[in-house]
Amino acid sequence: MVYTPYDFNESVRHRTEYIEERLRDGSPVAGISYDGGVLLLSLRRTQRKIFEIYDRLMFAGLGNQSDLEIIRVGAIDFAHQEGYARSPDDVTIQRVVGFAISPGVKRAFGDVLNAPFVVRALFAEMGRKPEDDLFYTLNYDGEFVSLNWAAAVAGTPEAEEQMIRQLVPEDADGAPDLQTALERALRAWAVGRLWAVEVHREEEEDDTLTDERIRTFLHEQLEDLQVEAGVLDRLTKRERKFRLLKDSEVQPVLERI
Amino acid sequence: MGERLSANTSGDFMTLLRSRGLWREPDAVTAEPVRNPLTEVHGTTVIALKYREGVLNVGDRRATAANAIMYDRAEKILPLDDYTLIAIAGSYARAMEIVRYLQHSFKYYARTQLQEMSLEGKLAEVSRALAGNLSLALQGIGLFIPVVSAYDVDRSEGRIFFYDGMGARFESVEFGAAGSGSERIRGVFDYIIKTKGPFHEMTLEEALRESMLLLDIAADLDSATAGIEKVLPVARAVTADGILEIPEEQLAEIKQSLKR
Repeated sequence: MVYTPYDFNESVRHRTEYIEERLRDGSPVAGISYDGGVLLLSLRRTQRKIFEIYDRLMFAGLGNQSDLEIIRVGAIDFAHQEGYARSPDDVTIQRVVGFAISPGVKRAFGDVLNAPFVVRALFAEMGRKPEDDLFYTLNYDGEFVSLNWAAAVAGTPEAEEQMIRQLVPEDADGAPDLQTALERALRAWAVGRLWAVEVHREEEEDDTLTDERIRTFLHEQLEDLQVEAGVLDRLTKRERKFRLLKDSEVQPVLERI
Repeated sequence: MGERLSANTSGDFMTLLRSRGLWREPDAVTAEPVRNPLTEVHGTTVIALKYREGVLNVGDRRATAANAIMYDRAEKILPLDDYTLIAIAGSYARAMEIVRYLQHSFKYYARTQLQEMSLEGKLAEVSRALAGNLSLALQGIGLFIPVVSAYDVDRSEGRIFFYDGMGARFESVEFGAAGSGSERIRGVFDYIIKTKGPFHEMTLEEALRESMLLLDIAADLDSATAGIEKVLPVARAVTADGILEIPEEQLAEIKQSLKR
């Protein structure tokens, strides 16, 4: 078989369409800094979605489960080998995402004879203060973006933008407390999902989702799905900073929305 | 991507380090004992006592090299994770290296496998690290002896394990100790149990008092042990709620009360 540049462009286009079609339906992930730590939140059926990578690093994503698993284990391997060979302080989000993970994802995307990664991933690193927290979003083509305060991955880039608006409202001032962060993350999740799936199908161009619609949609979704929220805790004295929030911590916030 | 992202599915950290060429095996044993070319820094006396809520570890802070006192702020009681403490005596360099390895090994397992390593698994990992250290120890350097204290979440009790240099593991009922000073005070532990009752029935305050008294006696009998006079010891406990750091003020008060 002769392989021409035309084939390359064509196949990249096909791959992009193929991947984006599969990602559109995925359950979004919202990330937000709060005064006492960093929060990642999503809704899921059965599979766990939010994972600890290293002492101050966690990760979640949407897309193909086994692709996410490869990225998760790759990040953990790199983080631990570096943390041991050098020091835990040398394990940073920019080294893990920028050097350990993204080049491989990019390579897989460009290699038209192999399957690409069907993922959008969100990494979060806890700093000493909320303004030092860092988020990296990683796309299926290996592109990554770093953000402060909040970040989101969802079925479409437009949905991600809408989520950020919910996570960092215009009147936001500094880092919220955990309750407020949870509330914003839940609303952001609903908006991200609505935007990627429903709005896309109805082809609405109006970008105002009413509070009522967000609330109703979230409660509908909660009939089939459950909330998963993971935090890196800035204030704990424990060795382990990461933990999944208990139902009893999430439930009061759900009732308020 | 496959070759860069691991296929290490066992959660075994040593396998990962070996596959990346980051695990340095100690050199094979030579037929002749070699003359020790360097003077190693050694940590001295560490004590582990059970008490009501878990296990208390106390260690003096002296590190020595032959006759010289190298350091009087050495930390010899270290958390391996939220439910495990290690107290070390002997070669400071090898001990620190292996503590770092163990900390990463437990975390790596928990994070990749999405479940905690069992207590039995952690204890075996300590044995394996000691066994891997053997060829060095036989040449006269790098030998260290750990005492591992763990809070057993399944049994809701503190447990103490001590080791020999080859990695043999023994569980202790009431107390554990290692280092040059510990041999001199062995009888004192039994004396306390016989006159005041078992350690595991003591409050934290009582156990702290006994452990500081023990360190003080060890310092009187062993030149390599600093005791409690110049620099306060390090004290940490492992409990159902994780690792408890005993503040210096509390130790200072107990030290004062011991002077009476």
